[in-house]
Amino acid sequence: MSLSTDDRRAQESGTPPVKTRAAAGDRPVTKDMPLRHRLRRDRTLILMTLPAMVLLLVFAYIPLAGNVVAFQDYDPYIADNAFQAIAQSPWVGFEWFQQMVNDRLFWSALRNTLTIFLLQLTLFFPVPILLALFINSFVRPRVRAVAQAILYLPHFFSWVLVVTVFQQMFGGAGLIAQTLRENGHEGFDLMTDPGLFKFLITFEMIWKDAGWGVIVFLAALAAVSPDLYEASAMDGANRWRRMWHITLPALRPVVALLLVLQVGNALTVGFEQILLQRTAVGPGASEVLDTYVWNVGITNGGFSYAAAVGIIKGIFGLLLVLGANKVAHLMGEQGVYKK
Amino acid sequence: MTPNSPSAPSRRRFLASSVVVAAAVGGGMPLLTACGGGSGGAKNEGTTTGKKLKDILPAYVPSKAVTPDIPSKNGSADGFTTALPADQLAVSVPKKLGQGSELRVMAPLWGTSPGDGNPYWKAMDEAAGVTVKWQNQDGNVYGQKLGAVLASSDIPDAVVVPGWELGGKIPSAIANKFADLGPYLSGDKVKDYPNLAAIPTGAWQRAVFAGKLRGLPMPAEATPNITPFYRADIFEEKGYEVPTTTQEFYDLCKEINAPKSKVWACSDMTWSAFVFFGVLPEKPYYWKLVDGKLVNRYETDEYLEALEWSRSLYSAGFVHPDAKAETGDMRTTFSSGNVLMYNADISDWYAATAVQRLDKPEFRMGAMDFFAAAGGDPVIYEASPSNIWCFVNKNADKKTIQDVLALANYTAAPYGTKEQRLKAYGLEGTHHTLKDGILVKTEQGNNQVFATYEYVASPAPFRAYPDFPDVAKGVIEWQQRQGAHLKKPLFHGMQIQEPTRYTELNAQFEDLEKDIVRGRKKVGDMQQAVSDWKTKGGDKLRDWYKKLLDETGESAS
Repeated sequence: MSLSTDDRRAQESGTPPVKTRAAAGDRPVTKDMPLRHRLRRDRTLILMTLPAMVLLLVFAYIPLAGNVVAFQDYDPYIADNAFQAIAQSPWVGFEWFQQMVNDRLFWSALRNTLTIFLLQLTLFFPVPILLALFINSFVRPRVRAVAQAILYLPHFFSWVLVVTVFQQMFGGAGLIAQTLRENGHEGFDLMTDPGLFKFLITFEMIWKDAGWGVIVFLAALAAVSPDLYEASAMDGANRWRRMWHITLPALRPVVALLLVLQVGNALTVGFEQILLQRTAVGPGASEVLDTYVWNVGITNGGFSYAAAVGIIKGIFGLLLVLGANKVAHLMGEQGVYKK
Repeated sequence: MTPNSPSAPSRRRFLASSVVVAAAVGGGMPLLTACGGGSGGAKNEGTTTGKKLKDILPAYVPSKAVTPDIPSKNGSADGFTTALPADQLAVSVPKKLGQGSELRVMAPLWGTSPGDGNPYWKAMDEAAGVTVKWQNQDGNVYGQKLGAVLASSDIPDAVVVPGWELGGKIPSAIANKFADLGPYLSGDKVKDYPNLAAIPTGAWQRAVFAGKLRGLPMPAEATPNITPFYRADIFEEKGYEVPTTTQEFYDLCKEINAPKSKVWACSDMTWSAFVFFGVLPEKPYYWKLVDGKLVNRYETDEYLEALEWSRSLYSAGFVHPDAKAETGDMRTTFSSGNVLMYNADISDWYAATAVQRLDKPEFRMGAMDFFAAAGGDPVIYEASPSNIWCFVNKNADKKTIQDVLALANYTAAPYGTKEQRLKAYGLEGTHHTLKDGILVKTEQGNNQVFATYEYVASPAPFRAYPDFPDVAKGVIEWQQRQGAHLKKPLFHGMQIQEPTRYTELNAQFEDLEKDIVRGRKKVGDMQQAVSDWKTKGGDKLRDWYKKLLDETGESAS
């Protein structure tokens, strides 16, 4: 065990080292305890997680076995149920994966997915943090409540509605274009421009969900003791210094956690939203991995190929989570989990 | 979407609506299965013709219930402009055939379900002698639900499948999961169900899947369902002339177009363009013989010309932005005068008029005659005699199958019968009123009575709009004028199952068409796609069809 600088300094000065992790100290050491004892000790906790475990098992882990169809030429219709159909479908090895390598549309979908992810990371991710700081700066609870309610509201709109609202506002026959035309200017059509599409959907996402994302950050801010602010104010720290030294550090673990989670979801950049606007800009600009899987698998019945694409997406996502978690550790944060 | 006869063949949807996502990618699916080739090859491939087909098909006994006001001609529907009082209606189902089974029926629905226990469904079930548990799914995305339901082990007793959803592996599902109705309907057996016996033979023929009579058909007119509509009232008022060449169409668009006052000339006209330029229909009727060699629709000059022309409408700014984005309902946009021309299923004529005349009695729309691009008579390919079928689960017991047929016999009752009145207009007093020969649906009627039972089986094609006789007349006369130019495509009327390894081959074209007309891709990109298509299996598919052609002949009838 290495000693922290504080401990070392304490040793040098002759005073006994202070146990910095006092809170964790009352947790019994589990390593040497037999499994049986541990089970008995944590019985209540295990029982409480059981329903969630069952859900996960039934809806996530068991269906994972269905991935075998990626190595078959699977036809779900040749037998009475999926198990028989899997048993009867011929095996084709890695043929679908080889196909994927040569599939122009797959690469285009992957490229679009990553571009949209990067845009979301740079444009969407910071917005809830800024909004949280903004709301936090309101002192009067009433104003604060109203501001929060207004910001949360769009989260409860369906994507169909959001897309329609955007079409009515920014479409070629929308409010803005029409007003421009009536006043002798050129109209414009934001909704059918493939070049702007990725920005458009990021913008839609900010409008719809940034307010909702604020909740987590507000909770983190609420946990900061007001004493700290008062003390620093007494010491002459101005508004900006207080934010820099108290508010932002308080948000740091939450930001790191969400960032890791976000990276893990890098290949899931939105489905319904993109599917709804696919024709408006064409698949070249809008096809992402999820819509591609949907079109190949569900719409065209290419279940095996879609499953193969899904597997690749899953593996890639897992690697990204592990990588991001590692980075979080290097930055001294907790991340999603720690060994 | 109109409740009456949805969408064009092989199109999942007709009007733009943002709730919908069409079409498919997946170009370059691998060719995994072994080569079969020819109609006699692998199981479920090819088509059924000759004596084998004759043995399967039901006998034809035309109905003599009522004489139409405008009889069918040139492949049009029968037209009806009047409504008889309830006591003068014929009775085509004198004895209730149903034995009281509870039937789970999955069907598309364009609209909002009226919900279980509504008086219309109750009355229909009571009259047919069954209890239907409807599993209605949004018609615009029906194919996606269909694929999943058919892959499950819990398939409803009866399932409706529209012809444009026959992509991917759905034909394989039909062959494997649905019952052979031959033992109940082939030959004279159909006479137990007189209304089914009155369904024209061509419609049954398209219902033969994988060598067995599996479907109950919804017969359709031989004339195209896609209709280029224009606002007749506004055209008259402003003195616009209905165009007769593509150039005139373009010039007219220029005259009409006034985005500043919220008026655009037209909606997406690609499907009309396909007729103007004489483009072949879609799969499997997409071949023509040129010097003894089969040429596919995608390889023809007409196809490129049609796309290029549609593209010119877009690039000139004549097309309404919502059509470009495929959001909103074009019928509404047209009704409110924001576009003056659009194409849609012919039933839109009635649907739009019925809504508009409530508070705008002067509302009038018309359908322009198809013309050849450079003027003169167009080449119009004949439509399929049926394009929506209802299938019965192969695990259904005898009584269930008989009850589905009993229900079908009821829903296939022709116009002018008590049964048809109930099916199309609901209960008198509740869903419709009939005064002085004018039949009007009530609000409850409009909310509850719309196509659901239709899809189980329908009579020979007819159009009856006693509430708007001018519409009935307009529709039938338009069909008869277009019908004069009909030409049968190769393999007309046959239900053809391509080998499964080719099912993904055409998937990219619908997206590409949209990209090209909207200016996102060049016309030249289509040529590239066609040469890909050839190497990925198009040429082999051509050989397969050639062999089929040599075996079966050019047309089913």
